Amino acid sequence: MVETVISALYGGFLVSIEIFGLTLLGALPLGLVISFGSMSRIKPIAFLTRGFVWIVRGSPLMLQLLVIFYGPGLLFGWNLWGGSDSGRMVAALTAFILNYACYFSEIYRGGVEGIPQGQREAGQVLGMTRAQIFFRVTLLQLVKRILPPISNEVITLVKDTSLARVILVYELMWEGQRFIKSAGIIWPLFFTGVFYLVFTGLLTILFRRLEKRLDYFTV
Amino acid sequence: MKTIMKRIALLLVFAMAACIFAGCGNKDGVSDAAYVKDKGTLVVGITDFAPMDYLENGKWIGFDADMAEAFAASLGVKAEFVEIVWETKTMELNDKNIDCVWNGMTLTDAVKNAMETSNAYCNNAQVVVVKREVAAQYDSVDSIRDLRFVVEAGSAGAEELDALGIPYIEADSQADALMEVAAGTSDACVIDLLMAGAMIGEGTSYAELTYTVALNSEEYGVGFRKGSDLAAKLNEFFAAAYKDGSMLEIAEKYGVQASLIAQ
Repeated sequence: MVETVISALYGGFLVSIEIFGLTLLGALPLGLVISFGSMSRIKPIAFLTRGFVWIVRGSPLMLQLLVIFYGPGLLFGWNLWGGSDSGRMVAALTAFILNYACYFSEIYRGGVEGIPQGQREAGQVLGMTRAQIFFRVTLLQLVKRILPPISNEVITLVKDTSLARVILVYELMWEGQRFIKSAGIIWPLFFTGVFYLVFTGLLTILFRRLEKRLDYFTV
Repeated sequence: MKTIMKRIALLLVFAMAACIFAGCGNKDGVSDAAYVKDKGTLVVGITDFAPMDYLENGKWIGFDADMAEAFAASLGVKAEFVEIVWETKTMELNDKNIDCVWNGMTLTDAVKNAMETSNAYCNNAQVVVVKREVAAQYDSVDSIRDLRFVVEAGSAGAEELDALGIPYIEADSQADALMEVAAGTSDACVIDLLMAGAMIGEGTSYAELTYTVALNSEEYGVGFRKGSDLAAKLNEFFAAAYKDGSMLEIAEKYGVQASLIAQ
């Protein structure tokens, strides 16, 4: 029994990890693009981007999953995703990446705007272009500044993967709950907590190491 | 410690004996119908189960609730609805906390043994729900094998698909399964016929859905105390209400007319 449960939970855990990894892969760079948008000097772009960030940050991720997956079919009779497992996963990833990119974008913006104006002016005096100033002066300081808030979001993401169940992506929590429905066994649901705790524990250690590595300079 | 245990055991024995004597005492020759008429209320045991019994503006309505009101009126008493725990319905009935169980109860052998049941009044079945425009192609069990199914986890519908060897994905509820079909993310789902009658088709949010094949069939009845004469009275009432069309009228109000059984 225990083995059956653990292997079922492990299968769900792999799905959770897949959502987690691919979301980070998409959301970290996309967040940077969005943060440039909301800091843009072209007013309409800044305005639209901030509106988008407001909508995404201002509504529950669960609702976004439902709208993205069921919305096209229900509203326009156009089933964008297909009903296969991979279709569900792609829809879930779309929602997760958009959502997390918006949160990351605000963290990036805070990081960029926290860097003293004087450094940028110094770069301009030396004749550097805007791109050069960003990549050679701002970026590394940015990374150091944003690491703690990013780690916060990353750990939240581990737990948010459980929301994918609303569009029937069978992640860890679903697999745990399945045993209640089919066999009336409750403990697997609570045992899922062990998987989450171990994984977030590993991430915590990883982020502490990263912070230490960046300790050689101060900002 | 031991003496305490003994005392508790003794108490339990006395309590049980008292229950048995009390139970015997109730069988004093007064018929159940007379008992109900005397106290002036027919207490109906229910659960919240649309479209049979459900609350609207603080009042219990639904096909079963409205029929129970009408039956009580025909006896000259008032119907009173009490929410019960489904597993202990027979106990509630025997303890006279309720006078009948009237809540879309499937007439299984266990139910028939424990209660005096009325005639079956409603068919239920597990039915396949698909989009209206493709319904004509899926009118037999063989034709539905290639559809992508979604069903409520652990439901009777899931059991039927298991028996047929048709694969499916699981949703949290029958309502979630319906949304999958409406959005086209699944081709078909299997839900209760009575729920299908109430929740899909014209005049609902799922106007584009319809149901086709029934995978099994079961029947609903009303349960009274074993030996009660109310069951026979209800059968008479059902026959009369069916004949004058009032039963059909109430059934249409709650979308269960398709599953009504002729009385």
